[in-house]
Amino acid sequence: MRIPGYLKATAAALLLAGTSMSTAVQADDHEIKIGYAGGFTGYLAPYDQPSLKGVQLAVDQLNAAGGILGMQIELIVKDTRTDTAQSAVAAQELVDEGVVAMIVSCDVDPAVASGVIAQAAEIPAASSCASTPTLPDAVGPYMFSNYTADNLQAAVLASYAREQGYENAYILLSRDTPYTEKLPEYFAEAFQAMGGNLVAVGEYATGQQDFSAEVTKIKGLDPQPDVIQTAAYEPDFPAFIKQLRAAGIDTPVLGSDGIDSPTTFGLGDVAEGVVFSNAGFASPGSPLEAYEVAYEAKYGEPNDTVFTATGYDLMMVIAAAIEAAGSTDGPAIRDAWDNLENVEVATGLITYKDQNRVPVRVVALNMVSGGERVHVGDYSPDPSMIPAP
Amino acid sequence: MSEQGNLLAIEGLAVRYGAIEAVRNASLEVREGEIVTLLGANGAGKSSILNAVMGLVPVAEGRVVFEGQDVAGQPPERIVRRGMTLCPEGRHVFSNLTIAENLKIGAASRRDKSEAAATQADMLALFPILDERRDQLAGTLSGGEQQMLAIARAMMSQPKIVLLDEPSLGLAPQIVDTIFELIVRLRDRGATILLVEQNVDLALEIADRGYVLATGDIVLSGPAADLRGSGDVERAYMGSH
Amino acid sequence: MEIFVQQFINALALGGTYALLALGLAMVFSVLGLINFAHGELMTITGYAMFFAIAAGIPFPIAVILGIAAATLAAILMERIAFRPVRDANTATMLLTSFAVSTILHMLFQNLISARPKAIPVPDWMIGAINLGGLSIGVIQVMSITATTLLLLALTVFLRRSILGIAMRAASLDFPVTRLMGINANAVIATAFGISGLLAGVAGVLWLAQRGSVDPLMGFLPVLKAFIAVVLGGLGSLPGAVLGGFVLAFIEVSLRAFLPDDWLPFRESITLTLVIILLLVRPEGLLGRKDAVR
Repeated sequence: MRIPGYLKATAAALLLAGTSMSTAVQADDHEIKIGYAGGFTGYLAPYDQPSLKGVQLAVDQLNAAGGILGMQIELIVKDTRTDTAQSAVAAQELVDEGVVAMIVSCDVDPAVASGVIAQAAEIPAASSCASTPTLPDAVGPYMFSNYTADNLQAAVLASYAREQGYENAYILLSRDTPYTEKLPEYFAEAFQAMGGNLVAVGEYATGQQDFSAEVTKIKGLDPQPDVIQTAAYEPDFPAFIKQLRAAGIDTPVLGSDGIDSPTTFGLGDVAEGVVFSNAGFASPGSPLEAYEVAYEAKYGEPNDTVFTATGYDLMMVIAAAIEAAGSTDGPAIRDAWDNLENVEVATGLITYKDQNRVPVRVVALNMVSGGERVHVGDYSPDPSMIPAP
Repeated sequence: MSEQGNLLAIEGLAVRYGAIEAVRNASLEVREGEIVTLLGANGAGKSSILNAVMGLVPVAEGRVVFEGQDVAGQPPERIVRRGMTLCPEGRHVFSNLTIAENLKIGAASRRDKSEAAATQADMLALFPILDERRDQLAGTLSGGEQQMLAIARAMMSQPKIVLLDEPSLGLAPQIVDTIFELIVRLRDRGATILLVEQNVDLALEIADRGYVLATGDIVLSGPAADLRGSGDVERAYMGSH
Repeated sequence: MEIFVQQFINALALGGTYALLALGLAMVFSVLGLINFAHGELMTITGYAMFFAIAAGIPFPIAVILGIAAATLAAILMERIAFRPVRDANTATMLLTSFAVSTILHMLFQNLISARPKAIPVPDWMIGAINLGGLSIGVIQVMSITATTLLLLALTVFLRRSILGIAMRAASLDFPVTRLMGINANAVIATAFGISGLLAGVAGVLWLAQRGSVDPLMGFLPVLKAFIAVVLGGLGSLPGAVLGGFVLAFIEVSLRAFLPDDWLPFRESITLTLVIILLLVRPEGLLGRKDAVR
């Protein structure tokens, strides 16, 4: 029998309408909707894609353990194509579909665009890995941070630098992103507050690749710096350190979590001894090690970035907030979230209580040694040493 | 059907640019060894016929029979390789290449490079001014010299027939005489020529036969001697045939 | 004095990479009137080819050759698949096609390979430097200058001596008349794309050796620089593209090296302002022909 095309289309439409109606009914009783409006294509894809993998792993584990408040989690994912306008549209779609909490992009601009929509709907939201500490206040009381804040990392790096006896620091920053600009500035602020001396500030453009001019300048500095700090990441960090070492400058270099990537460990001799901060070290017996095992079991390949773990962490934080609130009501979840203390996540413990929605979490220092990661230590700095955002 | 002995026969050719019909129903023949001239006022469609024959603009209708085969719609490079070439209106020498390079690229379609070198020597002998300036950029030549170069370049492919589009355009009268003498010499050396001209008197003087085109149609044809001075050409130009 | 010489060498090395990229763009522009914005993705293809080759245990030098070959082949395929069907369309259509090719490749890289950068380990000997007096010249800088010089020489010989090379120069001025010489249009265009791919491949290797990784979007910035270099040198002029690449690098390095610290945040805007001033003085570009402004 031949079915005319328009009949097929009508049947398909009816079928679709039927399914979505039934899920809608079901959702009210047995499902809890969490939305993720992320840049899964475009320039944020390297961050939002891994975050999503971590979030999905957390959802699997939570659902297997009975869900949140006895309800299964339905994760609704919208691609913003790393477009700020689309980030607002995607957030609105998630609100309309009835999510109770929202995860937004890894970068400040799209995160704010989505965040203001969630704020207006009184739905709590958090960026998966934006690290700018001023982000929550830029949106309002429903916006949270999750990732290790720039000023927190910078404070840990500065205290490490002073511990090592470094007196004179050089920082290299790029004004192209808040992360590459502010983190070295926070470092300089903390380093000077701890009695260190800032020799000079270098600038680069993200993606410039050629650091010959900057390296030649560093060579001519007087006094020579004892330490160089930068938040440059790929492709800038590898290019910078290669050209720095090629010029015969062996000053220690401190980096940040942006360089926690296989590329850094594949750089060979030039990266030897580089110390960088990140959200956690998978030491034996640690929750992060257990996470890495679960990750490999789900995806069939080892985890290659900490952004999957922080995505996982965020989903766990959301679950903890909803459980603590005991309801799916937005204001209740927000208040519970703001009072969370010592939530156990993959990278350690996270506390939101009294932190103005920018959490305190552990910062790990790692050293690149022989192409491997060596644990220097975990740090939780004294809040008084953290530069104000 | 083309008559026996025709090197090139254009049959019922139409050329359109969008809604504009530049050539309606043109037919003409060129026999081996002839100089045939195609006359007509500005905008009559002469250049359109040549460009369509060469494949530079699409043929809307009709056939272009070259050596007994329809070549309508073939790309220009294939038609050149078959032995028909065009020396375009406005000369179009490659001003960023030297004279020697202009000639060298003119022979690009030939496989035997030593024969091509012989033709180049031949052309430089025919045009001593080009020989003197062979390593100069073509853009530095005067208008007349550029026309000589354009003709020499066309001859480098050793064509069986050359389509010459307005070789006298924008040149001083003495130079025009020189160019026309050259065209006769080329014919005497065995080339077949289809000459498009606005200079009616000069063209009919050297041509064997002529066609007159007015607003896209052939309105008059015959031996050059008959057309010369009969007044018919002038009337055809005015459109009062 | 020493610092000037050092920065001069720095600019020369960077300029070489820009010149190779700009020349590839100009090559295609001169025969097709198209600025191929998917040109940068050819570098990315070099990167992924090298990544997979090294992962398969192929020695680094052979991986380099495979990377360059992949870019060359990809450029030829790009022309055959994407640009030939729209060749007779207007310039805007071709430009949009090139954006589409670029976007589609980004998507494919992100979704079929990885959105995260893939590491390309570079042998340690390539990272060192040669010290001459007080000067320090990186091995990659030496390679950049050497590769640029050799490629430019080889290309000059090709463009001056071979029929196809002369035809490409002729085509840059007047494509229809070049076809009247019996030159195959497809051959000229495919060769232009092939050469542009080869140049992008070599520039890609130099670029990758510095950055140590390949990611889906890495081609965007270099193609932008190359585009500025091409416009600066004069659209349609091959020597202009090379000169434009070097001039752009000299402006960039000089500003980064000698601008007072307070002014550093404005260096990119100053670079572009200088380029615009140069173009106001010479609207046809440094080596462009007045009649070539289309």
